[in-house]
Amino acid sequence: MTTKKPSQDWTQDDAETLFLRYARTRDSQLRDRLVAMHHNLVRYLAGKFVNRGEPLEDLVQVGTIGLINAIDRFDSGRGTKFSTYATPTIVGEIRRYFRDKAWSLKVPRRLQELNQTAARAQEELSSKLGRPPTIQEVAAKIGASEEETLEAIELGNAYDTVSLDSKVVNDSDSAPLSLAEFVGAEDESLLKIDAYGDLDQAIEKLEPRERAIIIHRFFKDMSQAEVAKQLNISQMHVSRLQNRALAQLKKHMDESIN
Amino acid sequence: MSESQSDTVQLIIPCRPEYVGVARLAVLGIASRMPFSYDEVEDVRLAVGEACTHAVERAGSSPSTIQITSTIGARALLIEVADNVPAGTEPSVPSEEAQNLAEAGVDQQGLGALLMEILVDEVKIDSSAAGTIVRLTKYAPD
Repeated sequence: MTTKKPSQDWTQDDAETLFLRYARTRDSQLRDRLVAMHHNLVRYLAGKFVNRGEPLEDLVQVGTIGLINAIDRFDSGRGTKFSTYATPTIVGEIRRYFRDKAWSLKVPRRLQELNQTAARAQEELSSKLGRPPTIQEVAAKIGASEEETLEAIELGNAYDTVSLDSKVVNDSDSAPLSLAEFVGAEDESLLKIDAYGDLDQAIEKLEPRERAIIIHRFFKDMSQAEVAKQLNISQMHVSRLQNRALAQLKKHMDESIN
Repeated sequence: MSESQSDTVQLIIPCRPEYVGVARLAVLGIASRMPFSYDEVEDVRLAVGEACTHAVERAGSSPSTIQITSTIGARALLIEVADNVPAGTEPSVPSEEAQNLAEAGVDQQGLGALLMEILVDEVKIDSSAAGTIVRLTKYAPD
């Protein structure tokens, strides 16, 4: 009969025996050993979630909380493998961590940042290499995976742009307008602004009474009746003089533009 | 999209590790067609990645392919990951990850399936001499 040192016996215990003993004794040292024994399971599962932008060590930590909960509740007599029992608890804890951090709200920003980093790296590498870099080269430069780099280039741009159909509300009473409705077209009247100086000169060339009618009607916003009263002539006469003055102005303007 | 209409996207990739990322990227775009939250999109992507990784590990160096068929419906996203690696094929050299897990008494193959079940609503796995088909279903939120 060979005698074994008790400590050796201890390390050779399999998980099942440890679980039975822990269930009976609730000895925290036994629990520590069970946690250490399943560290690789937590690391493996946490590793599946690293591309969501949180450090692996943080995920391993929250996953370990799930592991400890699973160890405390595990009943080895039920015939379920511990890894099968613990996996939903560990993954659940990791997913809750993302949910509590409102991670999905930060995704656009993270991708935008990565997108900008990738764009800078692309420029730097272009001038260094004398040619556009490959995705692999950009990924290596910014320390991200190829998949992440592609995603950042693709989605980072998408998040940067706002749909023209997106609704904009400027006050609560009015119906929301789409962004497209705020986008201006080229204002052709602006192109004619240079011609206003010429208009001044053209008005100067009118005979005094016509000039007065134009100024009253179009710069002082007076009605034909008001102008008629002011100049002490009939409204019909105002109308006739106005038409003649406008024709004159048009002629002067055409001459000065051509 | 009307109740009955659905769109289908198909992707065939070599059954090799460097193409799993290609599948994951495609699935990111496909799952984004559904009214899923970003977390849900990521969950689908992870599940498809698991199915592909499983196929890649079994295929070893044999020239195999993975066909990914995604059906974007009004109520659910169905993604079929079909490989032509005969069932029962075991990886010639277990990965470092698999070795670590084996030490902890964990069966990795079962774990991959379990992880997929946590991430999507339905998982159906059919293995035969022709290969393995993993059907993943994720329902649209009500």
